[in-house]
Amino acid sequence: MFYVSVFFQYMAQYMKTKLQYRADLFVEWLSDFMAQAVNLVFLLVVFGHTTLLHGWSRDEILFIYGFFLVPYAVFGAFFNLWDFNERYIVQGEMDRVLTRPLNSLFQIVLERMELESLLGAVPGLIIMLYAGSRLSLSFHWYDVFVFILLVIGGVLIYAGIFISLATISFFADARTSIMPMMYNISSYGRYPIDIYHRVIRYILTWVLPFAFVGVYPASYFLDKEEWYGYVFFTPVVGAVCFAVSVMLWNAGVRRYRGTGS
Amino acid sequence: MGKYVEMVRIRFLMMLAYRTNYYTGILIYAINIAAYYFLWSAIYGGKSSMQGMSLGQMTTYVAISWLARAFYFNNLDREIAMEIRDGKVAVELIRPYSYLGMKAVQGLGEGLFRLFFLSLPGLLVVSLFLPLQFPGHAKTWLSFGLSLLFSFIIFSELNLLAGVVTFFTFRNEGLLRAKRFIIDLFSGLILPLSFYPDWAQRAMMYFPFQAISYIPSMIITESFKGAAVRDGLLLQATWCIVLLFPIGWLWRAAKKRLVVQGG
Amino acid sequence: MNAIEVERLRKEFKVHASRSGLVGAFRDLWTRRYTIVRAVDDISFAVKQGEIVGYIGENGAGKSTTIKMLTGILTPTSGRIVVNGMNPHKEREKFVRTIGVVFGQRSQLWWDIAVQESFRLLKKVYRVSDEQYRRHMGEVIEMLEIGPLLDKPVRKLSLGQRMRCELAAALIHNPPLLFLDEPTIGLDVLVKLNIRQFLKQLNERYGTTILLTTHDMSDIEALCERVIMLDEGKIIYDGSLERLKERWGQGKRVAFTFAEAVTAAFLRQLTEGLNVVWKKGEQPNVWVAHVPPGGVPEVVSRVAARCALNDIHIHEVPTEEIIRNIYEEGAVHG
Repeated sequence: MFYVSVFFQYMAQYMKTKLQYRADLFVEWLSDFMAQAVNLVFLLVVFGHTTLLHGWSRDEILFIYGFFLVPYAVFGAFFNLWDFNERYIVQGEMDRVLTRPLNSLFQIVLERMELESLLGAVPGLIIMLYAGSRLSLSFHWYDVFVFILLVIGGVLIYAGIFISLATISFFADARTSIMPMMYNISSYGRYPIDIYHRVIRYILTWVLPFAFVGVYPASYFLDKEEWYGYVFFTPVVGAVCFAVSVMLWNAGVRRYRGTGS
Repeated sequence: MGKYVEMVRIRFLMMLAYRTNYYTGILIYAINIAAYYFLWSAIYGGKSSMQGMSLGQMTTYVAISWLARAFYFNNLDREIAMEIRDGKVAVELIRPYSYLGMKAVQGLGEGLFRLFFLSLPGLLVVSLFLPLQFPGHAKTWLSFGLSLLFSFIIFSELNLLAGVVTFFTFRNEGLLRAKRFIIDLFSGLILPLSFYPDWAQRAMMYFPFQAISYIPSMIITESFKGAAVRDGLLLQATWCIVLLFPIGWLWRAAKKRLVVQGG
Repeated sequence: MNAIEVERLRKEFKVHASRSGLVGAFRDLWTRRYTIVRAVDDISFAVKQGEIVGYIGENGAGKSTTIKMLTGILTPTSGRIVVNGMNPHKEREKFVRTIGVVFGQRSQLWWDIAVQESFRLLKKVYRVSDEQYRRHMGEVIEMLEIGPLLDKPVRKLSLGQRMRCELAAALIHNPPLLFLDEPTIGLDVLVKLNIRQFLKQLNERYGTTILLTTHDMSDIEALCERVIMLDEGKIIYDGSLERLKERWGQGKRVAFTFAEAVTAAFLRQLTEGLNVVWKKGEQPNVWVAHVPPGGVPEVVSRVAARCALNDIHIHEVPTEEIIRNIYEEGAVHG
């Protein structure tokens, strides 16, 4: 309860800050969207030359892509850990965080939140609606709740992986250029998993479970029943992934407090 | 000249200091290329060729594009923007070297490091399990090497240009990000330009982006032959020279502004 | 009751020793050499509630490492720490609610928002009730004279203004113990005075225990009755500032401004047998005599009898110089 009220307090402060720079808000959102549009253009261009990708149609793939944008937007709003190493370890902000009576990870999430990223979900929803209507998918009332559950699962997976990456900073003198590369890998979860060799399929499912942020949950709405087992595994994988990352984080903080670097 | 070589050496040392990056970098490059290979296999779906390229050529194209990117890619635009914001640029300007030249050389040092110690080992790993096709002609390799050098020059010139623009706009984080994605998209990094619709291809003829990735990758996969190779290299060379003009002009204006404002 | 108790506290760091040159850098890729550095070496001390203690030492002496262990940021390699009756690195969240920390070179406040917004956020984080906040912070704000700054964003404040706000921010929860790491660094004299005065008031009114590190000896002289001196991770002096001065700052400095040029040999000969050391001053014709206790009248009369003088200054040995002497000569056993 205390944490919820602190969360809203931070959010209020965040809004006040952001309202001072209204013009930037739009530019940031636009460049965020452009980053995503690269993938969209890739899809559209490729489907200018082929009709099916391993049995999946253009609209199905677009739908997966649209779905992915929603958890990704939520992740981007709350887990801005790109410059964690630079900001908190190199510049020493971690010391300040540790002198405050709040969980350190929670504090950093709050300090770095970027709510405008949530707007990135809008193009995602539009793409889903567009592709969904062309595929004449049927929706049930409870699908809304399934959707929310799957999105939360996806957010936790993303958060878990990128928190784990951030904890590397506690252990090694690495600049986190691994993050952009990981970001590349994450995009492979958006294509039908059955196109890959089984090693990669295994990696994207169990090691870096990005497939659970794209193709698996989206198959629920695309009525691909052969993947239903994975669909409902999404929240579980999310919870496990996140729990593991929090454990790693705590180990990292212990180590930080041991070495101070 | 000596001081520029020294700068390349220092960058090498800096990059070597981060060994976690070194190991994971190779691994992640390999995973990336492998995933692309399967994606493209699915896209080909049994077809022997698309837009005049076989699956083998396409895989090589992708692998080489990312390899080349490791060489030409740098963050000079961000670095310049940051140094301007923090006011460090004034200090740099009183040092006895050309600021932009020094920046470009730093980028070269980083690029060479990544090429030899990240990309080449990565490529070696990937070629163990993927059917990459490399040309046998020394002439193709030579043209490729030259083309790659042009790529680096053009990419760095664009970065310097974007960095110098920061002198006039100050907050242009969005602009820099947009530039990066335009380059990823229109340089031919994520897919060969020959896949784009005709109107888009025609439009891109007027921009320097294809000279960054498309041309070297087409050369090494021997999708360009004979005259096409020559034309591609000529186009790159032309852009290398043309881009110097706006940089020189903006840089002079920026320095004047810096002097007037006192940094 | 002690606010801080430290026994045989030790902190060791593993430092990566990089080989030189490009070849060395490549060898570092495979194997690394490490050396163990003992930043804090078996120190013991206690601070009573309500004390103001100056924690001094040269750069790298282990001051920051100690402070980081006392505030729970770092865990000790060995030894026992009890601060406010708790072990700082266990139950961190509960512990940090009982301390205030100011790092002079690092901001606690949010850059873009008004100062009072930062306060409000911290009030929430430290679970301070409205009633408590009004009562306590009202006074703090008044004492620090930051009322007019509260609605300004931090980025628009001068360093001095910001530092006063930082202090207030560290005191939101009225902690019984305050850690200050270089609180006056880079500040001008007036702001320094204001901050010192505030810290004294705070100490008198609330009985707040204060531990501060500083390079500015005038801070120590103005605030601390007790100093702990650190050198290479070991405590080399722990006691009152007075005693430190008595033992090490005995004697006086007498600066003579002569009407005409004199030589060192002449002066030495003049004060023979008095155990005086002469040093050339910074101005022309100024010579400074380092005189042992009780020797001043004799020295002055001898010099005045033989030379034409324009001016005489008598002063005590400055603390800066005492400290420097101690470091040059090594440990003090006092």
